[in-house]
Amino acid sequence: MASVKLTNVKKVYDKNVVAVHDFNLEIKDKEFVVFVGPSGCGKSTTLRMIAGLEEISEGTVEIDGEVVNDLQPKDRGIAMVFQNYALYPHMSVYDNIAFSLRLKKVPEDVIYDKVTKAAETLGITEYLMRKPRALSGGQRQRVAIGRAMVRDSKVFLMDEPLSNLDAKLRNQMRAEIILLRQKLDTTFIYVTHDQTEAMTLADRIVIMKDGFIMQVGSPDEVFDMPDNLFVAEFIGAPKMNIVKTGLVCENGKYYVTPFGAKIAVDGDKGEMLAERGVKGGEVLLGVRPEHIDLAKAGEDAIPCTLVVDEMMGSELHLHVDTEDGTRMIVRVPTIDISKEERKALVAGAKLYITFGGKAMHLFDPETEKNLLA
Amino acid sequence: MKRQNGTDPGNSSVRRKHKSPQVFFKEIGEILGEYSDGRYLRLSKLQKLIYKILAFFRAIPFAIAGFFKNIGKNIKNAAISLVNEFKDIGSTFAHGDWKTRVSYFVMGFGNITRGQILRGLLFLLFEIVFIVYMIVAGGHWLSLLPSLGKQGPTQSYDPVLDTYTTVYNDNSFKILLYGVLTIFFIIAFIYTWRLNVKQNKLAEQYLKSGKKLKGDKDDLRSMVDEQFYKTLLALPLTGILVFTVMPIVFMILVAFTNYDGAHNGFSNNLFSWVGLDNFNTLFSWQSAGGGQSYSATFGEILAWTLIWAFLATFTNYFLGMFVAMMINKKGIGLKKMWRTILVMTVAIPQFISLLYVSKMFARNGLINLTLKDTLGWISQPLPFWEDATWARVTVILVNIWIGIPYLMLITTGILMNIPADLYESARIDGANAWQQYTKITLPYMLFITGPYLLTSFTGNMNNFNVIYLLTGGAPTNPAASGAAGSVGYTDLLITWLFKITTGAESQYYLASVVGIMVFVVVALISLIVYNVLPSIKNEEDYQ
Amino acid sequence: MSNNKHHMGMKTLNRLSNSAIYTLLVIISVVWLIPFVFIVLQSFRVESTYQVGYVVPHQWGFQNYINLWNSDFKRWYLNTFIIALAAAVLQTIIVLCMSYTLSRFRFKLRGPLMRFMLILGMFPGMLTMIILYRVLSDLGLTQANAVPGLILVSVASSGMGYYVSKGFFDTIPKSLDEAARVDGATRLQVLYKIILPLAKPIVIYTILTAFMGPWGDYVFARYVAFGTSAGYNVAVGMYSWLTNDQINNMYTTFCAGGVIVALPVTILFLCLQKYYVEGVTGGAVKG
Repeated sequence: MASVKLTNVKKVYDKNVVAVHDFNLEIKDKEFVVFVGPSGCGKSTTLRMIAGLEEISEGTVEIDGEVVNDLQPKDRGIAMVFQNYALYPHMSVYDNIAFSLRLKKVPEDVIYDKVTKAAETLGITEYLMRKPRALSGGQRQRVAIGRAMVRDSKVFLMDEPLSNLDAKLRNQMRAEIILLRQKLDTTFIYVTHDQTEAMTLADRIVIMKDGFIMQVGSPDEVFDMPDNLFVAEFIGAPKMNIVKTGLVCENGKYYVTPFGAKIAVDGDKGEMLAERGVKGGEVLLGVRPEHIDLAKAGEDAIPCTLVVDEMMGSELHLHVDTEDGTRMIVRVPTIDISKEERKALVAGAKLYITFGGKAMHLFDPETEKNLLA
Repeated sequence: MKRQNGTDPGNSSVRRKHKSPQVFFKEIGEILGEYSDGRYLRLSKLQKLIYKILAFFRAIPFAIAGFFKNIGKNIKNAAISLVNEFKDIGSTFAHGDWKTRVSYFVMGFGNITRGQILRGLLFLLFEIVFIVYMIVAGGHWLSLLPSLGKQGPTQSYDPVLDTYTTVYNDNSFKILLYGVLTIFFIIAFIYTWRLNVKQNKLAEQYLKSGKKLKGDKDDLRSMVDEQFYKTLLALPLTGILVFTVMPIVFMILVAFTNYDGAHNGFSNNLFSWVGLDNFNTLFSWQSAGGGQSYSATFGEILAWTLIWAFLATFTNYFLGMFVAMMINKKGIGLKKMWRTILVMTVAIPQFISLLYVSKMFARNGLINLTLKDTLGWISQPLPFWEDATWARVTVILVNIWIGIPYLMLITTGILMNIPADLYESARIDGANAWQQYTKITLPYMLFITGPYLLTSFTGNMNNFNVIYLLTGGAPTNPAASGAAGSVGYTDLLITWLFKITTGAESQYYLASVVGIMVFVVVALISLIVYNVLPSIKNEEDYQ
Repeated sequence: MSNNKHHMGMKTLNRLSNSAIYTLLVIISVVWLIPFVFIVLQSFRVESTYQVGYVVPHQWGFQNYINLWNSDFKRWYLNTFIIALAAAVLQTIIVLCMSYTLSRFRFKLRGPLMRFMLILGMFPGMLTMIILYRVLSDLGLTQANAVPGLILVSVASSGMGYYVSKGFFDTIPKSLDEAARVDGATRLQVLYKIILPLAKPIVIYTILTAFMGPWGDYVFARYVAFGTSAGYNVAVGMYSWLTNDQINNMYTTFCAGGVIVALPVTILFLCLQKYYVEGVTGGAVKG
């Protein structure tokens, strides 16, 4: 149980390839932090620097107030779960979990208690004498977690632990990690490329791109108020619709004009724009698919043509083209659509869509920063 | 009508069949200077092949130029870092505290006074050993190195017994050997001294910034942890340094001396530096000892060495692959047995099988005797080892017999790794067995085994065992009789080298020059293959 | 109908090509085995000791093996066996140290070191023989004392042959090392608790090749032991039987010696064939 603090951490490969730029973050005790971003964004590198598996080029990493830059991984009080499990193939499950304890010369009876307890928690007691290759993916993942659990470490590091599992198992294990976290009650740093995992697991999400932190915030914050275009598009599925459009200011009220429609910017947001002295002009308008509604023809309604309809069960994803050919995605709860309406929703159907001023995000087309944040 | 290779769509169908030689080569020549995907893809099959061959040779000078440019860059970088080293040494002295400064003269002083006693003592010990060695022996050897000794063995007369005894004075061999060792030692000392300065600077900075310095315990512990690689490499690298690097440096130097049987350096005559004389000898056109010149002999042997290496490598490669494919074929039973039969022959020490086969083919060996006496098919024994062409062909055939099992093993593994869906999709596309082989199997194999082929080629250039145990170089080449050792038609450079050193005159200096030439040839081939092949390969990716 | 016919055609074609392959394989097997069968047969030939124009002995017997027992062959055999054993142990240790390090550690001089060794490997090894002989002779490790000398030389530079086993180590996931290090293992512990147990095939391959090498080593052994039978290994000793003045007396004895030399090595090899194949294949793929 410990805090982790990264100050100006930088990772440079081969003298000129910078993998992580100036990373600053303070992780509180018992916090669950998720690093998320596309591959190559430096999230794993950062985690591995915390673990001590990667040298820190610049800056300092502190665990529990102690600078650990020069410490070996084993002396940092961490435990880690690897993406490909990294189970020792020649050892039984029991020996795998007991390995770290044996290295510490813990008496065998204590080891036995700890290993069986961890195995019970993870539901792998019956496999203890098996070799890893006789286990399924999910079971291997449990063993890997068990191996990390028995170390009683201050910080629990997980490097894409679920990415090798199939979709169903992944959902199940995700729930189990939440349970595990409640039991272990320690600091977690979790790396993933999957925004759903990040949103469901994290207390705080760190979104990274090309070695830079794009935003740090709770799942609500990054979803509701993305700092920039990248975060807006990365978080949320299907991803946010982005339209280049005009912003006009009439009598102190702001309007956006996508596809010839004129939609008022919601009061609060309008005030914020006015406060910042935004004059109007070109902006990037972002609307999440779930904030778009199907509508009847009208002033605010945008005419478009249905291209693809994806039936997801509880909801329907409609890919539509507006008159100027911009592709938009609309997400409609199935329950809101009657049977007749559903029948009419076939490729080529003419539709109208609309969205309110409350749900919109506005970004500067140059800096890609959120104008409202 | 689809356009395939004509540049003018209107006439393409005519052109395709009757492309005049001018157009044929013009199209190749146009893209040779300036590669373009589109124009390359439009070439006919034959044109593509010719293009690839030409592109290969065209790339050679560029590869070599690139190599030397790199060397130039490296030298420049080295010079810059050397200047920086000196600057750092200076500034460390100027800004360092007294402990650091003393360490410039008493190595390890700073370490000891700062608590890293073990490290410091090792530094100090090394310095003491070095100084003592230089005073006791190193200086002596070094001073004699330029002359390689002044006084050879002399006769001293003993008036009481009325006998002459030989007094051995300087020993050129030892002077050269210990001279080289001393230079190695000096380099090691300079490096260690620099390390000592660096560590002092680091330790000083560490303490100034309030951090704790690593003590002896940490040092020892890190020997099996962070620094474990140093521990692991210490023994192997020492071995390589003493038993490979040092001898190679020594032998390169021998190429610039007249060290041979008549100048063995201690018991008859001393040897001395002769500059580039030996290289002149090897490359001169003057006849040697009544026969042809050394350069002609060298050229002949080199040509045969290259032909041999090429044939030995590729006959084995393709036949081995062929055998592997036969055994791998679906529906062929007893796969394991066939493999085991072949593999078993790998286990039998080569000298047994080679010597036995050599005697089998001898003038009065099993084959000749059987054919002549038992069967009566021939009246004269076949000249397997007596005729140049017979001998060369037989050597290559026997080498196939030796080599196929290895290649069968190697290729079996790779063949089984070729994804089956490649063949399935090729079959759906309508490829027959031969097309499947040339379009899938062969490119895949060549891609994976490319590096192996190179090492196998250079290995065959130096394949002493097969040649020496089979023929011993025979039959003798009378024209080359003047060259050191008796040179034969199947001699490779490497067996020639051996013959020179073990021959009557023991011209070590010549052997050393030949050895250097072998290195040059191998290095050149490797350089070309490494630098040129990838560029050709990239272009192939377009297909 | 026609479809069926076509199918039949393919089947017969296949059968035809298969029988062709079987014939070829039988021929190949015979060609490859025949010299060894001949050696064995001739080692039992008693009626004459020189080369003859037939294979099956007219008179069978163990005379050649008795001759072996009464010659220096015992000594040569023992010499070779000692060298092979020492090489198998020491060479394996050195090669494993080298290849594990180059596979797992990333240190500043790793690249230059590997390039340097590549260049060193381009010099013909024979070049260094002259000086190594003189050095060994100064140390008193030649002629009758050739065995320790040969061990020293064959082991000392064996670090250069790291390619195959490095290729194998490269296939063991690095995350295993990392997991073990996080679990509290030092690099040394990682090596002997995690990597070595997983590297069993390559360890056996290295031991096997190191052990087999000295049995065929001729040129350097001849150089070092020159003229002193007590320092010969089997290759040098038996070669001396095939010189023009000896061959007519010793030819069949040579065959018997060949059988005695080849037998244990071949049996060992066949038992461990699986590992050898793995090593050879991996080595070629990794380059």
